[in-house]
Amino acid sequence: MNKNLLDILSNSNKDIDNQQLMDYLSGQLSAEQRHDVERSMADSEFLNDAVEGLQRITDKKDLQAYVEELNAGMQKNLQKKKQRRLKRHLKEEPWSYLAVILVILLCIIAYIVVRRLLLAYH
Amino acid sequence: MPSAKQDPYQHITDQELLERYYTDRNNEWLGALLSRYTLLLLGVCMKYLRQEEEARDSVQQIFVKVITELPKYRVEYFKSWIYTIARNHCLMKLRDQHGHPATLSETMLAAWDEEGGKGRHVEKDQQLALMEQSLEELGKEQRLCVTLFYLEKRSYQDIAASTGFTLMQVKSHIQNGKRNLKLIMERKAGEKSRLS
Repeated sequence: MNKNLLDILSNSNKDIDNQQLMDYLSGQLSAEQRHDVERSMADSEFLNDAVEGLQRITDKKDLQAYVEELNAGMQKNLQKKKQRRLKRHLKEEPWSYLAVILVILLCIIAYIVVRRLLLAYH
Repeated sequence: MPSAKQDPYQHITDQELLERYYTDRNNEWLGALLSRYTLLLLGVCMKYLRQEEEARDSVQQIFVKVITELPKYRVEYFKSWIYTIARNHCLMKLRDQHGHPATLSETMLAAWDEEGGKGRHVEKDQQLALMEQSLEELGKEQRLCVTLFYLEKRSYQDIAASTGFTLMQVKSHIQNGKRNLKLIMERKAGEKSRLS
């Protein structure tokens, strides 16, 4: 009995990383590595859809440029979100920020007063 | 040869990055997690929308959606979640373009029945025997492709070349064959347990 039969039902646990995927798309993999990627494709609709879509991009050299551009845009969005969150905090909790500023101001004034008093004493 | 940028958080799993993000809400974790999926998302958008420009815009829109939605819920399986978001986004876009609802094809739904057959516990030998019988019940094309792919470990290209099927036919015979095989096995296991 062929033990490999059970392979059909087991899901491929190998995660295909982006480099492997790029190499697969540009035909750089050995037969065994190619089969690994295809096994993962047969198990994952996500990967299968992605490969079918990426195969439509004729110039594979563009792929890396697209990915970098998209990642840069995504990082910008994340930054914007961070700034928005900070602004919201300022809007929602103005008193706590005001209190911190007041305490700092009081410390500075106290420092100046003590320093003047000490100078006058000497 | 195009090369992908090295992931600086390679040693950290998706799950852990997600946990870290939910713990301290630091966008660095979310950025690292999302950048792992950029290429896949671009592929999915290309598959459905077929235009490079539109696909790239859609990936950006999906990112914005994820960045806004992720803090609102506790997502357990990021990969399936982001795939659903991406696919729905593309289907909505297609619907808007063509003015009619896009239908989910059978293969699109297939991802969700992955877990279906796992619950049943059958002994390994019994399972092998069942598998052999079930394989016989598959249609000729599906049986041929499943056997060449899983048992002889041949690539899609090889199988297409030796059988005369197109690449798309090979893929679909393998995917449908695997799904049918599970169904046949479940039916047979069910019949067996009713008899005993």
